[in-house]
Amino acid sequence: MTSCHSIRPLLPARAEELTVFESRSRADHVAACARCATEAAAYSRLGHALAVMANLEVDPADGTLERVLVAIGRRRTGVTDPRLLAAAGSAGALVATVVVARAVRHRRQAGPPARPAPRPRRLRIPHLPVPTPALARAK
Amino acid sequence: MEVDRELVEAAQAGDRWALEELVRRTHRSVYTCALRLVGNPDDAADVTQDVYLRVVRKLGGFRHEAAFSTWLNRVTTNVAMSTLKRRTRRFAVEGAAVPADTRDPAPEPAERAEAVALARRLEGLVAGLPEGQRQVLVLRDIYGQSTEEVANAMGLTPGAVKVRLFRARERLKAELESAEGGQVVALAGRRRATGRRS
Repeated sequence: MTSCHSIRPLLPARAEELTVFESRSRADHVAACARCATEAAAYSRLGHALAVMANLEVDPADGTLERVLVAIGRRRTGVTDPRLLAAAGSAGALVATVVVARAVRHRRQAGPPARPAPRPRRLRIPHLPVPTPALARAK
Repeated sequence: MEVDRELVEAAQAGDRWALEELVRRTHRSVYTCALRLVGNPDDAADVTQDVYLRVVRKLGGFRHEAAFSTWLNRVTTNVAMSTLKRRTRRFAVEGAAVPADTRDPAPEPAERAEAVALARRLEGLVAGLPEGQRQVLVLRDIYGQSTEEVANAMGLTPGAVKVRLFRARERLKAELESAEGGQVVALAGRRRATGRRS
């Protein structure tokens, strides 16, 4: 028979956590050793009680639910199905294309852009010969 | 936590009422799981809120391949683990807050009553485990995640998960026996005292 010392690490394990060999060794040992059988039964009882804990619920502090509802209300996109989101995206792109196309057509139909308003005319000063000392000397 | 498929599908289709109903039905369970993992009521409330924000984003991707509760537990685990990684170790958590009062939403058949009573006693003992051991035990033994899932969620190797799990179960069993032994002794003492008086 396998020793208690070598079986002890296998006692807390669940059946599915053991290899076939480990499982058989444990079963054989527990069948013949009252002390290890008691230990195995205690672990089994503990395992069942821990599994039951999954169904026990704790009431959160007051206001937790309301806080969650407000938070998701702010973040909620409404539709979360990716197929619907893809369809909505395609529809949005189509609408944007139509809007841009209409704007371009409207600009073309309106003709060339209006000329800018003429600047106020500046007085033109006729080019007059200015007598210089060198010219005067030549004359 | 009972959730109808129709309710989930309605929430997926963007029905606001269905989404809120989904939150109402599941928030206690999410909070409880978060509290067991992070060990602090304030952090558990934050995790609960973050879980539902993630649920709103990811619900469209839920394909009903697993039960909704299983999916929600995984989301809770991931959010709780991210929170713990972000959380600075302002206080060394050696033993979490003990949930004040747990309740069993399912009716209690007679054979279940003993397991439920034991589970209630265990709540405090689980909360008293060291953080690493507690998280592994909560995910594996309470919420039934596989060793690999626990390892992924916690960033550990499966071997490390098994070691922690072994230590947590061993410690919990010892503490449970000690607590029950203490109870028996206390009861016996009270009986003796009552006997003397009468």
